[in-house]
Formats: sequence, C-alpha cells, structure tokens
Amino acid sequence: MKQAFYGLLLFIFLALPPVAAIMESVMIVHMHMQMTLLAVSGLLMARFFQIKFPGFFRKWNSNGVPGILLFVIIWSFWMIPRSMDEALTIQLVEIFKFISLPFLAGIALRDSWTKIGSFGQKIVFVFFIVMFSIMAWIYIGADSQICNNYLQVEQQTVGWGSLFFGVFLLIYVLQLIFIDHSQYE
Amino acid sequence: MITIIKNGHSTIAVFIVLVFGFVLFYNGTDGFQAFTAESARTYDINQNQPAFTNVTLEDSKERTYSFKEFAEGKYVFVTFMYTNCTTVCPQLEMNMAQVYEQVPDKYIGEDIVFLSISFDPERDDPATLSKYRSYFGSDGETWRMARVNDESELNTLLDNLGVIVIPDGEGDFTHNSAFYFIGKSGHLLEMMDYTLIDEAADKVNETLNSEEGV
Repeated sequence: MKQAFYGLLLFIFLALPPVAAIMESVMIVHMHMQMTLLAVSGLLMARFFQIKFPGFFRKWNSNGVPGILLFVIIWSFWMIPRSMDEALTIQLVEIFKFISLPFLAGIALRDSWTKIGSFGQKIVFVFFIVMFSIMAWIYIGADSQICNNYLQVEQQTVGWGSLFFGVFLLIYVLQLIFIDHSQYE
Repeated sequence: MITIIKNGHSTIAVFIVLVFGFVLFYNGTDGFQAFTAESARTYDINQNQPAFTNVTLEDSKERTYSFKEFAEGKYVFVTFMYTNCTTVCPQLEMNMAQVYEQVPDKYIGEDIVFLSISFDPERDDPATLSKYRSYFGSDGETWRMARVNDESELNTLLDNLGVIVIPDGEGDFTHNSAFYFIGKSGHLLEMMDYTLIDEAADKVNETLNSEEGV
C-alpha cells in the first residue's frame, strides 16, 4: 500500500498548478515527462485499486487484453498534436489529461502487463517503437509548425526525444530476444 | 483468441474499450478531420467565416488607409508575413505570386486585389516593404504590402482570423501560414492551404467567373 501512497503524492505534486504550468511551458517536458509521470503515478496507485477491488479486475480484465488496449488508446490519444495543444487552451481537456493518464492508462497497464505474457508485451513494445518513430518523423521533418502553442524548435526537440525513446525501446526488445536471460537468474 | 472466446467478460470489456477509444478519437479530431490544433482552427474558421477587422494599413508607398477603403467591394487575397522571416514567408509570398499570375488580368485590380500584411510593424517600415515587394513581383497597387501600426487592431485582426504569432525573443516569430480569401462583404470566404497553389487559384478564378455570369 505504501507505493499507492507515493503514487498519490506524485499525482498531487504533478497537479499543483505551478508545477503543471512549468512543465507545460516546455513542450518536451509536457509530452515526455509530465505525461509519463502521470502514467507512473497511476501505475503506483494501481496497487490500491487492485487490493480494494480484486473482483473487478479479475472479472473484466482476466486476460489483460482490455486493459492493455485501454492503455494504448489513451496513450496514443495524447500523442496527437492537437490533444496537447488543447490541453493548454481548454480546461476540460486538461482535466481529462490528469484523469485519463493515471487512472485509465496507468492502472490498466499495471493490471494487464503480467497478464498479457511475454508475447503480448513484445507486441506492445513494437507498437511503441513504431509510434515513437512516426512521431520522430513528423516532429523533426515537419517544415511548418504542428502545435500552435510551441515554437518549431521545441517541436523538433520532441521529435529527437521520441527518436531516442524509440531507439532505446528497440535496443531493449532486441536484447530480450537475443540474450538468454535464464543464464543470469 | 481462445482465451478471449472463453471469457465473455473480457470480450465485452474489449468491446467497451474500443467503442470508448473510437468516441474519444472521433471527438478529439472532429471526426478524424483535424489532428492538429491548426487544422481544427482552419475547420472552425471556414465554418464561421469571420469578418475581416477594418484595420488601418500603411503600405510600401507610405499611404495610409483602412482595409475597407482598400477593398471597396472587391475580393481580397490576403497573407500574413514579416520580411525578416527566412523560412516560411518567402515561400508563402512566392506561392502568392503564382496565384496572382494565374488570375486573369481583367480581374486584377477590378474585382480582386492582393494584400500581404506584415505583423512586425516595428521593422517592416514602408522602405523595407518596398524592397521586399520587388522580390515577388508585387506592383504595389493591385498587390500591396502593408503593415498595421496599431497594435490592438493588429491583434484583433490576427485573433479573428486565427493567425498565431509567437515571438521567439530573438526577433523571429513562429507563426502559421495560409491564404485568406476575403469576399466582397469583407467576410472570410475561405482559408486555404498556401502550398496548394493551383487549388487556391482555381478557387479564386471560379469565384470570379461565377460572379461575372450573374
């Protein structure tokens, strides 16, 4: 339960208006740090919900597929340039960001990750590698601005950041496939 | 697959999640139309057709007049730029020049006028505009380049037409670009993609031709 408490603390910290304002002022922090941390806070808080409502997760997410789909959908939604822009200009969208990333995406990921097995996990990894590559391609390559609230330089930074994430994940998956982990256990 | 079939609840849950995802994306993108705030803005502005703010212009020949005086019941083809811009603006003005070329001479100046508005009035004085004008074949009469000196007027205009200008603090701006086609009543007819020159010229010519037939 301790980790759920830390998750809640993290969530409250991220939601503090000055903290949110500072993080959102830099595009790459907004996209790759604030959003990720929100999901992480959900991952931690998930423990609380799993203990409180074990029946719910067993019944509705027995094989992990609905949960992982929900996670992928929510995460992809926030990678749309427009969603990010509107989080800054429309209050309701901002609130939805703070609810959907921890409580839908984060919790769903925690509950589903072990259930979907190593094959399912690899599919998710591949999805993210593809998604980050596309983002890198769009944000680095775009010669006009995609986001209205950020400078073009910032958008290119996000592109390089995405490329970094994509490459990092690719290396991780490759070592999963080619290195025999049983030797280290 | 087998595990999904075996487990009714999971199947229902997957279905619910997919429907939720569809609704979420559908709403978030105006029915898969607008994936960037910019395209959403275009969509919105083309729906609403806002009136062109009657700003006071100062052109490259140091003449001062209001937009209404300049337009005087003509169609107006407008772009927004600043002369120090090294990226999009030259392209924008170059494309505008091509649209200008494609409009038949008989309409130019009579039924339609072209206008490039600078949103950097501090640096774009008439002399600078005059020099810039010559690079693109603008004659300074039927295609004018002008600045809006009144800051509040300029901001209202930019705001109404959804032109976003963010100064980067080093004298440059990040801004969105488009062709604005203004109707005779001074309302926006259409905001067009500035990279699709032929489409824009076709649209303009079509409108001018249909006007003649009436």
